[in-house]
Amino acid sequence: MRPLEKADRMDPVSSEERIESGSASTKRPGPPVQKGFQMLADPGSFDSNAFTLLLRAAYQSLLDAQADEAVLDHPDLKHIDPVVLKHCHAAAATYILEAGKHRADKSTLSTYLEDCKFDRERIELFCTEYQNNKNSIEILLGSIGRSLPHITDVSWRLEYQIKTNQLHKMYRPAYLVTLNIENTDSRSYPEISFSCNMEQLQDLVGKLKDASKSLERATHL
Amino acid sequence: MLLDLSEEHREHLAFLPQVDSAVVAEFGRIAVEFLRRGSNPKIYEGAARKLNVSSDTVQHGVEGLTYLLTESSKLMISELDFQDSVFVLGFSEELNKLLLQLYLDNRREIRTILSELAPDLPSYHSLEWRLDVQLASRSLRQQIKPAVTIKLHLNQNGDHNTKVLQTDPATLLHLVQQLEQALEEMKTNHCRRVVRNIK
Repeated sequence: MRPLEKADRMDPVSSEERIESGSASTKRPGPPVQKGFQMLADPGSFDSNAFTLLLRAAYQSLLDAQADEAVLDHPDLKHIDPVVLKHCHAAAATYILEAGKHRADKSTLSTYLEDCKFDRERIELFCTEYQNNKNSIEILLGSIGRSLPHITDVSWRLEYQIKTNQLHKMYRPAYLVTLNIENTDSRSYPEISFSCNMEQLQDLVGKLKDASKSLERATHL
Repeated sequence: MLLDLSEEHREHLAFLPQVDSAVVAEFGRIAVEFLRRGSNPKIYEGAARKLNVSSDTVQHGVEGLTYLLTESSKLMISELDFQDSVFVLGFSEELNKLLLQLYLDNRREIRTILSELAPDLPSYHSLEWRLDVQLASRSLRQQIKPAVTIKLHLNQNGDHNTKVLQTDPATLLHLVQQLEQALEEMKTNHCRRVVRNIK
């Protein structure tokens, strides 16, 4: 499998990790990632242990919400120039995200890493770490993005209306339904409430049941 | 339960015996129409000219009649109670019968109109749904993510409102289950007892 296309936009290395890679058609990361990987490939700069630690730090930065610069504060990484460390860390994180986004398989990864002069052992290490974290990375990437307000739960209340100040002797049941909503972009949790009588609730439930039967049929195709 | 008619109210209604039954019946019709659609002052002027009185008098007469009808309908008073309440006004037998008939003929509709005045939450109108599958996004390719898109139609104070929402298959099943339980509640002994005994 051919290595990925050259990316046209790659920001200069910064110590800020970017969760979302901007390039639409990136299949091969640009110079900064390549340079970072070439350093990572060098046993003189990174021994096996340091290499693994750096990879793990990259995954931690991506997957752990609380992670910060301290991921690189490991005694076994202290001897490495901090600028080099940050550069390689950013390169690894960037590449992991790109690979995850495009669902790269082992052979794609291997080919690229070979190009970066990784030895067999390091390629194996990289692929193993990648495989271990693949699901989490995919879940992370899948959760980014805009969507419609999402219903997360429903609560209901049944009441028996007796009178209002405008109308006495009413005697009718009514339902109050509240839908809990999650708004993924604004992280807000508004609610939608509405009242309905028995017929209306039957209509609502009937339609939702139709939708779920349709869903069941679709998943069996 | 008898209606409590204020001094002012009685004064307004005092106009009614001064015109003949056809006019009172017409006033009754106007009163209900005003409840349905809102009042129209021009009608008062037309009637005032024909009857040779001030339009204020006509207005008070119609309003008095309206109030009589709405209060009676609101409380859902019995025929007997209505007759007794009106009796104190000292009207003729014929007029009393006419007023009673007006009440009985219109109270169902008036109650429906009054029920629309209650504190209003958005109420359910209807729902449309659609099944979608997300195949890819900017941040992740090759996905298979089913979703149900729902367009909820609500009414509030006469305005039609729609909300477009989404949910996943698991939540959809959960919604159906919860709302079916809600419907089941009405059939329980507890609810039946309440409905039977609160009248």
